[in-house]
Amino acid sequence: MKGAALILLSAGALALGGCVQTKQRADLEFAPPQGDYSLMVMRPDVTVGSLTAGGMVEPRADWTEQARANLLRALAEQQSGRGGKTQILERREGVSGVDAETVANLERLHNAVGSSIALHKYMGATLPTKRRQGLDWTLGEDAVKFGRATGMDYALFLHAEDSFASSGRAALQVIGLAGCIIGFCAPVSGGGQSAYASLVDLRTGEVVWFNVLQTSSQLPGVRFGDIRSPEGAAQMVERLLGRMKAGRNVRERQ
Amino acid sequence: MSALEQQLPLTRRMLLGGLGGACCAGITGTAQARIRPADMKPLVTPGHRPSDKDEQGLWQQYGRVEEEISGSNLLVEDPALTAYLGQIAERTGGPAARDLRVYLARIPEFNAFMAPTGFMVVFSGLLLRMRDEAQLSGVIAHEGGHFLRRHQIRAWRDTKRKTAALTFLAMGAGVGGAASGVYAGDLVRLAHLGTILSLFSYSRELEAEADAMGLRQLAEAGYDPAAMAETWQQLIEETQASAAMRNKRWKRGYSLLATHPAPEERMVDLRASAREVTSPRTAERGRDRYLAAIAAHRKGWLDDQVKLNDPGASLYLIRNLAHDGWNGLLRYHEGEVWRLRGQKGDSALAGQSYAAAVTLPEAPPEAWRAHGQQLLREGRSGEGKAALQRYLSLAPNAPDAAMVRHALGQ
Repeated sequence: MKGAALILLSAGALALGGCVQTKQRADLEFAPPQGDYSLMVMRPDVTVGSLTAGGMVEPRADWTEQARANLLRALAEQQSGRGGKTQILERREGVSGVDAETVANLERLHNAVGSSIALHKYMGATLPTKRRQGLDWTLGEDAVKFGRATGMDYALFLHAEDSFASSGRAALQVIGLAGCIIGFCAPVSGGGQSAYASLVDLRTGEVVWFNVLQTSSQLPGVRFGDIRSPEGAAQMVERLLGRMKAGRNVRERQ
Repeated sequence: MSALEQQLPLTRRMLLGGLGGACCAGITGTAQARIRPADMKPLVTPGHRPSDKDEQGLWQQYGRVEEEISGSNLLVEDPALTAYLGQIAERTGGPAARDLRVYLARIPEFNAFMAPTGFMVVFSGLLLRMRDEAQLSGVIAHEGGHFLRRHQIRAWRDTKRKTAALTFLAMGAGVGGAASGVYAGDLVRLAHLGTILSLFSYSRELEAEADAMGLRQLAEAGYDPAAMAETWQQLIEETQASAAMRNKRWKRGYSLLATHPAPEERMVDLRASAREVTSPRTAERGRDRYLAAIAAHRKGWLDDQVKLNDPGASLYLIRNLAHDGWNGLLRYHEGEVWRLRGQKGDSALAGQSYAAAVTLPEAPPEAWRAHGQQLLREGRSGEGKAALQRYLSLAPNAPDAAMVRHALGQ
């Protein structure tokens, strides 16, 4: 019985799979911040929910709060090992030099630019004008002003979504897999993560580095991370920010 | 913000944009038995807070939405007007009186929506169309009705249940079909359609509930309950006028994929329901109070509407407002509609409106400018220049004052 389950599982893993994907994009001249830099991590935009049987994500307030707190801790931990001076925003108020409305406006501006990067650099709607140019987006003068007012060199934006199969969804996954035995394989996604991090150079206003993380699994009970736990949050931060690659021109010169 | 625009796939976007934003703008629909106001009891108590996990999640998401909306630069910055709208929500809100919040956005459309957490967004285009406080209170009471009847969470649960049932059915049909060798794909597609139709039908039922609930609250607050049906009458006539001027036939609309009941049915139901709740104490219209509250904004909102380049709708709504008496502001914008349409003969019509506008109270300085330019075009240079002079004296700091002075040779 155990053997059969294992065969089923490995066959499933081969045929259906689940995976963890990250893809970095950077400005051609981007060099990861080193030494004596200052970084402001903007309030992370986090949503965690339960994946209903019908495939909709139902947001869960308690999980979201938990994940947000874990991510903030993991970010602080990760940044403390990098040498720079880091300030992490848990809310929009209380930033020295700028008011909450200014912080909100920068977040909204980045939201628009970040969505545009996701669309044109990741989702396939490539722009002919931005081909082979690395990352070529900017938040403009507003970001430079923000940097001057706060005295920060960089701003990091983080967006994270995670979802977990409800019991109904998990049952569907099992039926879908079991169907393989009689020739009707119907893989059902059991939720997963979708996150991005975006680094803005506040001295120029440009988005200099961007990374997208996606995890998914079609096997019931199998997951590739869970940001409701401190370890899972640390894993997401590591996957997103752990190995920041330099831009193409910089790499070629090295 | 209507669920119609984002039918499937059913995602969190739908929860946020579609189901959450229960709006009042009419999209045509099918018959629904009338719900009597007397049968509508509020389902929330004062200070309602969610206790179930799904509703808590919904509230948290909408907390973020409200944070964004409350800081939006689309909001009309007028504390007195905002407070006035809040008072109406409080007066018609029943047990939720102290839990409702109203945001006014400058968007030239007839629309409003209610969030599950108790805030509603009303568009300036809606306020522009209202003739008095009773009509406005009818819309606010309808939106408040969504909150009183807990519509968003009920709709979400309905969607969750129906999509789950469908998904299991499809999976069962697939596995069962494979085991027995029967192709069940057509059956599954039929069930899929059935699920979608049933979701939209539930949405229409909730709209009808909000109408009945809102009407009950409107009457309890002492407003004339006939006001709600008038709003729909106006909307129908405006849509017809818009289509007529574009030489298009107005779609009578019979659609299974509609989130809202058809405007005519709604109007008929609202009239019947209004009779049930009308009493000697339900006579308030509050026209003067309403006009005073929006006075500072009417010109800007009329400008927004005229620039939509929908001459049929614009003329209808200007003339509808003029049922309560013409003034210079309405006549000037009537002229602007003709001028912007710019077809043969429109210039003369615009000229007539401008000429009438400057003789009426509340004529904006721009009416004198438009009147003057029209006279110059007709070769009446003396009168034209005098009108432009009048414009300069009324608005010496207008952005185009220097240009007008130059044209006058000063």
